[in-house]
Amino acid sequence: MSNMPTPRQQSLRTVLFWAVPAALLFLPLATNAYTQFIVNGMLISVLVTLGFSLVIGNLGQLAFANTAFFGIGAYASAILSAKLGIPWILTVPLAGAFGALGGFLASVAALRGIRSYYLAIITLAFGELMRWAYLHAKPLTGGTDGMPMPRETMFGISLSDDTLKFYIFLAVTVLLVKGTLNLMRSRFGRAVMAVRENEIATASLAIPTARVILATFAWSGLVVGCAGALFARHVGHVFPESFGMLQLIASFAMVLVGGLGSVLGAVLGAVLLTALPEYLRAFPGMEELFFGLIVAAVLVAMPRGLASLLRRLSPVFTERYYREGA
Amino acid sequence: MLMQLTLGGLSQGMIYALVALSLTVVYRSTTVVNFGHGDFVMAGAFLSYVLVVLAGIAFLPAAALAMIAMFALGVLFNRGLIRPVKGGPHIGLALMCIAAGYLLRGIARMVWGREVLPMPPAFDMEPIFIGNLVITGDAVFIIGTVLVLLLVFFGLLALTDLGKMVQAVYQSPRGARLIGLNVERFDDFAWGVGAALGALGGILVAPVSLLHPDLGASFLIKGFAAMTLGGFGSLGGAVLGGVLLGIAEQYAGAYIDSALIEITAYLVIVLVLFIRPQGLFGRKAVVKV
Repeated sequence: MSNMPTPRQQSLRTVLFWAVPAALLFLPLATNAYTQFIVNGMLISVLVTLGFSLVIGNLGQLAFANTAFFGIGAYASAILSAKLGIPWILTVPLAGAFGALGGFLASVAALRGIRSYYLAIITLAFGELMRWAYLHAKPLTGGTDGMPMPRETMFGISLSDDTLKFYIFLAVTVLLVKGTLNLMRSRFGRAVMAVRENEIATASLAIPTARVILATFAWSGLVVGCAGALFARHVGHVFPESFGMLQLIASFAMVLVGGLGSVLGAVLGAVLLTALPEYLRAFPGMEELFFGLIVAAVLVAMPRGLASLLRRLSPVFTERYYREGA
Repeated sequence: MLMQLTLGGLSQGMIYALVALSLTVVYRSTTVVNFGHGDFVMAGAFLSYVLVVLAGIAFLPAAALAMIAMFALGVLFNRGLIRPVKGGPHIGLALMCIAAGYLLRGIARMVWGREVLPMPPAFDMEPIFIGNLVITGDAVFIIGTVLVLLLVFFGLLALTDLGKMVQAVYQSPRGARLIGLNVERFDDFAWGVGAALGALGGILVAPVSLLHPDLGASFLIKGFAAMTLGGFGSLGGAVLGGVLLGIAEQYAGAYIDSALIEITAYLVIVLVLFIRPQGLFGRKAVVKV
C-alpha cells in the first residue's frame, strides 16, 4: 500500500491518540454548565456511532437494532440502579452485558443463514419489539412516563454534576474506543471485514462467518449498551421516545459523515452532529429534514466520509488492521 | 364473531397487500428494498388529505391526483437520488431510501407538527347486515378497490406486451438490455408504480384512521412481514402474505390479547425467517456457507 505510514508517523499517531483525551481532561475549565452538558452528549454519541459503524461499516450489514441496544443499556442501568439499588457506575458494564445480549438476540438468525435484507428486517423488527416492550412492561419500565434515575453521589459529589459525569464518560469512552480499535486490528477484526468483502471466500478460510456476524453484533451491543447507561445518567430520566426513529437517522448520519467502518470517522461524525441539532429541536420536523439531507448529500458527494479526506491529507490518519512492529 | 374478524382482517390485509406489492415491484426490478416506503404510504395519505380537506376536491379524483403526484415523486426519487449511488455498495442504496423517507416525514411534520388529522369518511354507506355480520362501507370500498386494482395489475403483467417486458426485466436486467429494452426507463416506471401503489395504501387507510407523520413506520413493517410471509420477491406471495397478516392480526388481537395486534407483524417476520425463510412462495433466502 502506498499510503502506509512511516515508523515516525506511526509514533505520531500514538501520541495523537493519547493527546486528545489528555487535552480533554482540562476541558471543564473552559465550559459552562450548558456546553459541558453538550460535550457529555457528544461522548455518548461517539460510542453509539462507533457501535453502529462496526455493524454497518466493518461488517457491511445494514442493521436497525442499534437504537434498541441503546435503549436496552439505558433501561438496564435505570432498572438496576432504581429497583435493585446497584450503584450506577456498576450498572455501566452490566448495561454493556445486556446490550451484548441484545446484539446476540438481534442477529442470532445469522446462524440460520439469514443475511443482508432479511437480517436487516429482523433487526428492524427487533428494535420495534423493544420499543413496544418499553411501553408495555409498565411495572419495570414505567411505560410512557419513563423511569427517573435515583439520586446518587460518588466521591462525595452528586452524580448530577456534569463535570464529574464528564470524567466518567471520558474514561468509559476512551476505554471502549481503544478496546474496539484493538479488536478491529486483531485476527477477529480482519475476519469481520473479510465477511463484508466476500463471505464465501472467508468461509473457505475456515472462518465461522455466522459466528463472526454474531460476535460483531454482540460487541456493537456492548459498546452501545454502555453508552445507554451513560445516557440514562446524562439526562437523568429514561423515556421510550429517546430510542425512536430520530435517534436512528441521527446515528446513520453520524456514521456516514465520519466514514463507514472507520473508528476515527465515528468519533468525528458524532462530535460534529451532536451539537447542531440542539438548535433545530425547537422546530418540528427540522431534525428529520436535516439528518435526511445530510445522509443523502454524503451518499452522493462523499461516500467514504470525512475520515477519507483526512487519510488523503496524511497517512497518519490511516487505520490499521494489523499489529505494528511485528 | 369469526366472520366479523375475518372481514376486518381482510380489509386491513388488503392495505398490507398493497404496501407489500408495491415494495416488491420496486425490489424485483431494481433489487432495491425501499426502507423509506412507509413514508411514501404516509405521503399518499397526507396528499389526499390536502386535496380533499384543504382543496375541497371529491375523494375519488383526489385519490387519482395524489397517486399521479406520487408516481412522479417515485420517478424523481429514482432519477435524483437513487441513480447517483446505484454503482456503489447496496447499503448506500438502502440508506438513501431511509434518508428519503425521513425527508418526507420531516416535511409532513414541518407542516402539521404534532397535530393528528382526521379525514372525513370517504364512502358513506349504510352498513349491510348479514346475520350478525356487519359490513361497513369502508370495508366494501377498500376490499373492492384493491381487488379491482390487483386484477388490472396482474392482468396487465400476464397478458400485455408491456407486462411481458416487465417480466423480462424482472428475470434478467442484463438479458433485457441485450434485447434492446431500456432498463433505466423500466426502473423509473417501477419506482413510479411502487410509489403510487404504496400511496394508494395510505389513501385508502386515511378515511378510516387518523393521520400523523409517523404512520408510515408501522406500514413498512407490515409490508415487510407480508413479503416475508408470502416469500420475498414474489408478487402473488406479497398479496397473499398481506391478506393473511391482516387476518392473523385480528385473530391474535381477539383471541389472545389486544396488545398483540401491534406486534403480530414482528412476530411473523421472526417466526417465518426462523422456520421457513423462503416464505410461502419465495426463493431461498438463505446463504449456505
